This record gives sequence, structure tokens and C-alpha cells, in this order.
Amino acid sequence: MQGLRKTYHRAFGRGGHEALRGMDLVVPAGSAFGLIGPNGAGKTTFIKSVLGIVRPTAGTVRVLGGSPEDPAIRARIGYLPERLHLPGTWKSPAFLATVARLKGLKPDAPGLLRLLERVGLSDAVDRRIGGYSKGMRQRLGLAAALLGEPALLVLDEPTDGIDPMGRLEVRRILQEEVRRGVTLFLNSHLLAETERVCDRVAILADGRVLREGRLEDLGRGGARWRVRFAPGADASALVAAGFVVAGDSGAEARTGATSLAGATGALSRSGAGAAGLPADGAQTEGVYVVDAADVTVLNAALDRARASGALLVELRREGADLEAVLLGAVGSPGVAA
Amino acid sequence: MNPVFVIAGYVLREAASRKFILAFMVGLTLVLATVAFSLKLEVVDGALAATRLFGEVVRANIVSVDVALRPIFRAAAYLVFYGGILFGIVACSDFAPGLLSPGRIEHLLALPLQRWHLLAGTFLGVMTLALGGTVYAAGGLTLIFGVKTGYWTVGPLIAGAMACVGFAAVYAVMLTTATLVRSAALCSAAGFVLLVCGILAGFRADVSRYLEPGVGRASFDAVTLVLPRLSALAVGAADLASSTPLAPGSLGMLLGGVLVFGLGSLAVGFWHFEGKDC
Repeated sequence: MQGLRKTYHRAFGRGGHEALRGMDLVVPAGSAFGLIGPNGAGKTTFIKSVLGIVRPTAGTVRVLGGSPEDPAIRARIGYLPERLHLPGTWKSPAFLATVARLKGLKPDAPGLLRLLERVGLSDAVDRRIGGYSKGMRQRLGLAAALLGEPALLVLDEPTDGIDPMGRLEVRRILQEEVRRGVTLFLNSHLLAETERVCDRVAILADGRVLREGRLEDLGRGGARWRVRFAPGADASALVAAGFVVAGDSGAEARTGATSLAGATGALSRSGAGAAGLPADGAQTEGVYVVDAADVTVLNAALDRARASGALLVELRREGADLEAVLLGAVGSPGVAA
Repeated sequence: MNPVFVIAGYVLREAASRKFILAFMVGLTLVLATVAFSLKLEVVDGALAATRLFGEVVRANIVSVDVALRPIFRAAAYLVFYGGILFGIVACSDFAPGLLSPGRIEHLLALPLQRWHLLAGTFLGVMTLALGGTVYAAGGLTLIFGVKTGYWTVGPLIAGAMACVGFAAVYAVMLTTATLVRSAALCSAAGFVLLVCGILAGFRADVSRYLEPGVGRASFDAVTLVLPRLSALAVGAADLASSTPLAPGSLGMLLGGVLVFGLGSLAVGFWHFEGKDC
């Protein structure tokens, strides 16, 4: 997408609403891409533009190497709208068969039943869609989107109304599809879900892309690592090796500006919970942070720690979660996709 | 399969699930069955000698069967024409708004079909429904009277087909309205307005005479000139059903005018829908 603009004009020339204000975005093929942003950010307009449902006022959209207006391109896209309206008097195999015919697929009744089984609806094939719960309707919508093994899946709130176990199943299906090489485009207000499924994220606000990139890059809080050692580690030796007790905000801040080589840090067993961990003595016991510009420096620090007798239990990169990234980018608490 | 046919099948399947459409078909069947079982016609040498309705003798002169059946077929033609259009306006008013409703239209437009496929498929589905109902009603009546009297005519069926042409023009306006506003009520209102205007247009020469000469009459003449003359088509259908001779060329002009109006309305709807954001 390049320079994508969309203005919804009102009748009789009474001005209009600018939903997209010049969006540039490239979604790499085979990636799981998440779209997040506050209400009114332009996410739905953006998705509709990608699918050719809304005609952009300016800019170009290329999907799978072609125009979204081209039926041959759309045949390779699976789409689940946010509020899919399903024919209540139909049964799910009949609905899927109609969608398959509209996608130009050959009739394959056993294939449809397998698809329904995959989304967890095998027990409901004989029931009318009108009697389905919201979660079951979402599953059926997902099955319709998966018809014909699309190269691009555009899903708008796919787990809306689905119970936690169902979400797990849907997530598994989406991850299977991504492994198959499908490009996934996910719009979900559940940031944890986006975080679990997607490897890239774009943050939209006010019709613009504020931030875009790999999830770990967006959430990365610098070159900081969180390390947990087994109980009994020599705290002073660890401090000498460049580690700082997690939760000691003053010491963390001081070392944060320096490289590991020059870090001396101060030791302070405050006992407070570290960021992202509960304020629980058992959880914070032996938790340290260390700044390392690259893995060589990190391993050197770990070697020094191990040389002092400390046993490594857990190591992970320090970073902000998606909610923090979103709020940081949008700057308005309380609103999320 | 062509997407137009798939969408038409979609509409027909939706129609089959509507209780009031099923009730209408059951009611129609009951009326035909009542006529079939309660009416007794005695035909002697091609003349209707006696008629019994629910066992009671209907006093009438002895006339040839075709002449005796003329008023019946004429009345049936009017009933099929106006009744069919009225029922069609009510029964089919929400097919297009339903198909274009949020949550369904996005899903359909994301599928590999052209926008005009949706409208053409909806139109085809509704017209198939209308034609099916008309053939059932007019064909049933023709069959009952044919079996009872031995007089076979395709007049009522042709009249039914003409009613379908009239309804096609009305539904084209309803479909175009649906692309502007997704409201079943407004779609049916547009259909009713066109039906009334079409009736007036059929009698435009007579009505025009009662208007004061000037802007009013000129405006009436101008507006009704482009409208389909539905009442004139109904009269033509009734004439055909009752084997009454028509003025030469009048039917072709009438049908041509109605078809041009319907196609023009559809073209406006297709054009508007192509550029519409859904």
C-alpha cells in the first residue's frame, strides 16, 4: 500500500470524514501481521481497501502481486468480517458449499465436512445456523475463510465470542496456516492474541501508520536482558559481573545508559516485584537485569556469573508488551483495538 | 458455475425458507384445489350447458366454452397481474437489502465475483421466483379449466408472463433503491409508488384530459411518458388471456417500453453500486 487515502464524502457536498490519511505499508509474504489501534483509527477502512470493498480516494493497493479488484486475486484471499451475517435457516455444509461455488471451487462435500471438523463444528452440521452460538458462527466464518486454501487470510476479530478453549483451537489453526506459508492479516482487539499469533504488527491511529515492524523490535526496551539465577547465587559477585537486581529502579536506570563492560551497578535487594513479574518474593528471588549490546557481551557476563557459582535458570530479553507499545505509540490510555 | 446463477440460487434458497412465501404457495394451492373440486362444468358439443359451484347451479345462458371462460380468464389475468406484483413487492422487498446488509456484503464482495454479479443474481433469483409463482397459478388455472371443458389455451400463461415483465420493471426500481438505501421498507415503498404511477401512466391520455392545460398537464404528460404503462400492460394481458383481439403493434410497444424502463433502472443501479463503498 502506498499513499493510501480514503475520504468518506457526505451527501450534497457537506464535507467528509478522512478515514485514511496517506498510509504506506508493506506486509511481507508469509508473515503473520497484526493490525492494532484505537477505535476510529481506520482499521476497518484499511481492511476493506485491501479487499477492494472500499475504493481508496488516492494511493495504490497491491495484494498478492495484483489488484484487489481482480477476481483471480480475490480467489486467493480468505476473509472473515467482524460481524459476519450468516443465513440463519441454512445448515453449515450448505453455506460452505455456496461460498465454495462462489470461489469457483469444485464440489467437495467430504472436504467441507473435514473443514467443519477442523474448526470444531463437526457436531453441528445438522443444525441450522440460526441456532448457533456467536462462537460457532465465528468458527463457521473462519471455515468459509479457509475454503480453497487461500494465500492470504484477512481476519477481523476471529475469536470474538469464542470461549478460551476455542480461542486456543483457533490460534492453533492460524499457526498451522502460517506454517503452511499463508500470509495472515489479523485485526483483533485482544492484544495478547495478536502478540501470540503475529510476528509483525502495525499500529494505526488517526488514519496513519504510527509504528510498524517485528513484534520483538517494537517491544524491545534496548539491549536489556532479564536473568534468573538459582537460589544461593553470590549477589556481590553477580553485581561485580555487571548484573543488577531487578526492581532496583535506580540502579537499573543508572546501568541502562552504560554498556555492560563499564557497568558496575549498585546492589539493592529491595524485594519489590520486577516489571512484568508479580511482587512475590519467590518470583523475584535471584532475578537480575543486565545490559548487553550483543550476544558476545551477554555470554561473557553469563560466563562471569557462572564462574562465581551462580546457576542460570531463565533468560529472556527485556521488552514492553504490546499494550505498552500501543499506549506508547498512541499516547491515549484506555483505548485499544 | 457462473456467480450470477449461484447468487440467484442463494436468493431462491432464502425465499424457500420464508414462511410467508411458503404460506402463499400453500394458499394458492388451496384456491386451485377448491376451484378444481367445487366447480363442475357440463360441456355438450363445445358449449357450456350447465355450471355447478359447491353443488349449486349457476344460472347462465348456454354459450360456447371459450366465450364462457373469457370473463374468468380475464379476471384471473388481472388477479395474477396486480396481485402478483403486489405480493412480489412485499415478499421480495428485503432480498436485496438483506444481501447488501453489513456483514454479508463485505463477505460477498471479498469473494471472487464482480459487483454486478450480485445485483444480476438477485434480480435473476427474484424473477425466477416470480415466474415460478405465475406459472404455478396461471398454469394451474389453465389445467383445471382445460381438463373440465376440453378447451385448451395458453392465454393465461402468456398473461402471466406479461405480469412478470411488469414486475421486472417494478423490481428493477426496487433493486436500484436498495443500492441507494439498504431498507426493505423504502424498497417496497419505491415499488408501490412505481406501481401506482405505472397505473396512471397507462391511462395518461384519459387522466391528462381532466387536468388544466398548462404547466401541470405538461408536467404530467412528461413524467408519465417515461414511466412503464403497467395498467395498459394489464389490459393487454387480460385481452390475451380472454382471447380478445389486440390493436396491431400495441403489445410490442407496451412490452418494449416496459423493458426499456426496467433495463434503464437496472443500469442506474449497477452503475451506482459499482462505485459504492460498502
